[in-house]
Amino acid sequence: MFQKVLIANRGDVALRVIRACRELGIRTVAIHSTADAEAMHVRLADESVCVGPPAAKDSYLNVAAIITAADVTGADAIHPGLGFLAENARFAQIVEEHGHTFIGPTPRQIEMLGDKIEAKQAALAANLPVVPGGTKPIANAAEARATAKEAGYPVLLKAAAGGGGRGMQRVEHADALARAFEVASSEAEAAFGDGSVYVEKAIDRPRHIEVQVLGDGEGGAVHLGERDCTVQRRFQKLIEEAPSPVLTPAERERVGALAAGLAASIDYRGAGTVEFLYAGGQFYFIEMNARLQVEHPVTELVSGVDIVEAQLRIAAGAGLGMTQDDIKTRGHAIEVRVNAEDPNTFVPSPGTVTLFHPPGGPGVRVDSHIFQGARVPPFYDSLIAKLIVHGADRDAAIARLGRALDEFVVEGVSTNLGLQRRIIRADDFISNRIDVVWLERWLNA
Amino acid sequence: MGFEIDAEAVRTLAGLLEETGLGEIEYEVDDRRIRVAKPAAAAAVQAVAPAPAAAAPAAAPAADAGPVAGGVSSPMVGTVYLQSGPGEPPFVKVGDRVSAGDVIFIIEAMKVMNQIPAPHGGVVKSVEVENGQAVEFGEVLMVIE
Repeated sequence: MFQKVLIANRGDVALRVIRACRELGIRTVAIHSTADAEAMHVRLADESVCVGPPAAKDSYLNVAAIITAADVTGADAIHPGLGFLAENARFAQIVEEHGHTFIGPTPRQIEMLGDKIEAKQAALAANLPVVPGGTKPIANAAEARATAKEAGYPVLLKAAAGGGGRGMQRVEHADALARAFEVASSEAEAAFGDGSVYVEKAIDRPRHIEVQVLGDGEGGAVHLGERDCTVQRRFQKLIEEAPSPVLTPAERERVGALAAGLAASIDYRGAGTVEFLYAGGQFYFIEMNARLQVEHPVTELVSGVDIVEAQLRIAAGAGLGMTQDDIKTRGHAIEVRVNAEDPNTFVPSPGTVTLFHPPGGPGVRVDSHIFQGARVPPFYDSLIAKLIVHGADRDAAIARLGRALDEFVVEGVSTNLGLQRRIIRADDFISNRIDVVWLERWLNA
Repeated sequence: MGFEIDAEAVRTLAGLLEETGLGEIEYEVDDRRIRVAKPAAAAAVQAVAPAPAAAAPAAAPAADAGPVAGGVSSPMVGTVYLQSGPGEPPFVKVGDRVSAGDVIFIIEAMKVMNQIPAPHGGVVKSVEVENGQAVEFGEVLMVIE
């Protein structure tokens, strides 16, 4: 096992990794920007190194400074957390070239899974169902028209290099395709320097189902069950639960096997998540995230597997330490993301937290780096806490979540706690009449 | 510690540097590494001991101490060297008068030696770090008044 791990991240995820290391007897090195000198991850780590000024590009994305911090502290491995450099293949490669272990997939796996088309081809090769449409970049409107006809309207045009909805166009009819293609292609060119676009069938009102996998890097892989992350606002997840309340046992087993099969087929190393859209009883692979995910705690609560510990163990060459038969899920878990943001405009609300009272009691877990007096800097994302509850079934979990949300008090910055309280009491949420754009409809109603 | 300088090896490498016109040569045997570099200004002969496992300071001095009048803070994370090589005189010492742009430190980051120029001129009031110490971004290295 490693002697000392540097965590190239901040916030609750840095804390999560420090906690796993502590339990394994591994020493930890925190890195931080000048804006985070007082942050909790700096206080809890054994050592800390200030790597740069507040702007992320000069600190948490500053590869030379992070590698040097690992060198001067003698860290033998680097955990990238999530976000920042976690899915940067070049960073993973530099880490390894400098003699440190990268706790995550291989640089080549990161690169492949980060490319939508290459990832889709890998999924097809592993017999996963994908969204009908092209699996190659499209260069002209005529080719786009042929692919759209084959996939069936409505279709989406997406930047091959993109993400976050940029360069995305929805087209209802063949008449509108040529013009939409030009717009999507030039937007993609402007945003990503690559004008290639791909065309796929638009899946209407799907749910978002994702499967947590662990791979040993040598073709062995297991899945830890699915998460349902259907409550989203503009592709940003707000609530995640496990298991999905809509899958049948047969569907659950099938999607788990598909995800583990993909991980095994590419010799995937470490923790990853295979994401699907689910509509009309069908799964459609969308992407595989080559990293730890924000919502990993819901899977930890139902499976009993410590996913970060598994990452450390796999990276240290100790293998998966479990077989599929060992994994049994129990009860129901729900996570809500607590963001420092204006409840009406969703604009981030940085500032100093003057009162922080997280909930407690049975079945309640709070992952947060916030404390009374903590500053929420304006430079990074607005997630200040994750509240995760576990109950015997979904109804029990929702009841527990309601009382935990009512206990949660944050003052000094605005938060979405009030919105989360309303969502989990909405009839549509309780009775599961939701899809990935439900929240936006409900907010506008 | 326990790294004795092989003066002959350094002289040989320095000779090769002149002969070949190269910018730098690095020579490694076991865990001992000698790098001879020829920066634009002054020729620096830098011997590097095995990576120090020194713990970085736990607190962030830059944030805690607030700005120090005349303080020169580190522009990067790395290992600071006060002299161009073991046995060489320090770039500057307390009481020296320096001009803006004079080299006052070398900071090694990712195996690259970075010459750090004085941001302003004046008299060196104090040197806050030791040779070979790991430094953070923003850490005060020296006070020049």
